[in-house]
Amino acid sequence: MSWRTVAVIAAMVALPLLVRPALAAEIWIFAIFGLGCNLLLGYTGLLSFGQSTFFGSAAYAAGWLLKHYGVNVFVALAAGTGVGALSALAVGYLCVQRSGIYFIMLTFALNQLFYFVAYQWTSVTGGEDGMPGIPRPAMLGIDFSSPIAYYVFVSLLFLVSFWVMKRVVESPLGKILQAIRENETRAEAVGYDVARFKLLAFVVAGAFSGLAGVLYAMLFGIVPLEAIGFVFSGNVVFATLIGGSGSLYGPIIGSVVFIWLSESVSTVWARWPLLLGVAFVIVVLFFRGGVVEAWSRFLAWRFSRQRT
Amino acid sequence: MTLLAGQILNGIATGMLYALMGLGLALIAGILNIPNFAHGALFAVGAYLTVSAINAVGNFWIALVVAPLGVAVLGLVIEYAGIRRLYAAGHDYQLLFTFGLSLILAETIILIWGPVGISQLPPPILRGGIDLGFTFYPKYRLFVMVAAGLLVTATWLFLEKTRYGAIMRAGIENKEMVSLLGIDIHRMFTVAFALGAWLAGIAGALTAPIRGLSPGMGVDMLGIAFVVVALGGMGNVLGAIAAGLLIGVAQAVVAAYWTEASVAVIYLVMAAVLVVRPQGLFGIR
Repeated sequence: MSWRTVAVIAAMVALPLLVRPALAAEIWIFAIFGLGCNLLLGYTGLLSFGQSTFFGSAAYAAGWLLKHYGVNVFVALAAGTGVGALSALAVGYLCVQRSGIYFIMLTFALNQLFYFVAYQWTSVTGGEDGMPGIPRPAMLGIDFSSPIAYYVFVSLLFLVSFWVMKRVVESPLGKILQAIRENETRAEAVGYDVARFKLLAFVVAGAFSGLAGVLYAMLFGIVPLEAIGFVFSGNVVFATLIGGSGSLYGPIIGSVVFIWLSESVSTVWARWPLLLGVAFVIVVLFFRGGVVEAWSRFLAWRFSRQRT
Repeated sequence: MTLLAGQILNGIATGMLYALMGLGLALIAGILNIPNFAHGALFAVGAYLTVSAINAVGNFWIALVVAPLGVAVLGLVIEYAGIRRLYAAGHDYQLLFTFGLSLILAETIILIWGPVGISQLPPPILRGGIDLGFTFYPKYRLFVMVAAGLLVTATWLFLEKTRYGAIMRAGIENKEMVSLLGIDIHRMFTVAFALGAWLAGIAGALTAPIRGLSPGMGVDMLGIAFVVVALGGMGNVLGAIAAGLLIGVAQAVVAAYWTEASVAVIYLVMAAVLVVRPQGLFGIR
């Protein structure tokens, strides 16, 4: 085991001691969501501003199954992951044919399509009120109503997701995706069907987003309309970027920082999106390399002060 | 039949507003090569400034001139103080910056004008309707149709018939070449952003008396502006008009029979067009 893996497991043990278990669970759920976003942004060079499409669709689908059909947790997880992948297939099919700014705009516009369907389809989604009353059924004799039991379950699923994503990015597929990120024309010239590989990356990212969506719905017992909204899509891009995209560990750092940040800010002021916006602007203008670069700049600053 | 005719006219009026939004966004996207997620927020600021200006001077026409100019100045500041530093950065950071700006602007609107929607009457001369023979139609919407049509035409004339417009179109095609010819490309970026912001501000000002104002109006319009650009292409005035009218009319016609679906249909139409024509209506890039 590398020291990084040890650090992740240590963080997993320490987090629920430092913050509420529900908040700790949210961090790992958001990190799974970030893993998917990072596969697109960090490894394939695709900036999707519509990741909540897959997150939200999966949350609604699994929530509906849990609520009305009393399915067990595994069925809910499998269904949500499947819905995430399928919705990503549909959205990705339309988006990968365009590139650059067009691509970003399309992911956002299709996110809006799903949002407005969820907004108006009140008999299923509850519209603006959200879909409440989602149970967290016991499984294999473990009672998930205890926050700490659910936390352990979520963090184990994160480890599995992390391992799967590591395998994906280190596989030949992962190398091809990175080749597309580095030089799309060249990857095409070497003989890879770039559009198909982009679509594949989309589907994998959608599956991860879907898994995160189901876990989110079970964590809070409700799917709020925001779960399929554009702000959520922006948040995961932000978390991926501040963690440092293109590193497998980036989404973890990003998720910890982002969830902690939004939690502490949202309790301070009702107009907290304003502060979030200010944070986005400041990070972009002054800390473009993310937390990792900010830390090394801080160290360099300390070092230069010690010398003088 | 009268209902349908009225709705089609409504669709043309809103479609022209969509075209204005898309045109401004396309100018910014085409020339600066950045995804401007603050475009919807600029639209909303335009609408709110108009209402404040009407309350301050009591004249719609002065407000209609002043408020969009205010938005253009805001755009100037945004480009000069922020976006200028991000041309070398990737789309991801440009997106995050403009997205952060849109959050700041939307929340500032709530802080200044409150979270509750505001309604705004058209100016006295444009209140009431005209009998068009087949339907009775509000004067203000006819005015919007004409005004937006004139603005789109003026933008087209500027881009196609003036020297600076030609330089801008060249900038969309090849920035490096334009720069090599000794043209101050950074000034062109500032002008393009301010012009795009001005168009968004005018669209906001014209929309205020039709739909009223709410803090969420910016985001709704942002998605629609993206649809117009995705379908119509960048720097293509005809494409923006065609795309704007297509989704405007589709939305209005659907609203007559199935109100709940009237917003979703905009995006469904876009998805349907993209299935058949992945490169948009006129197949640019």
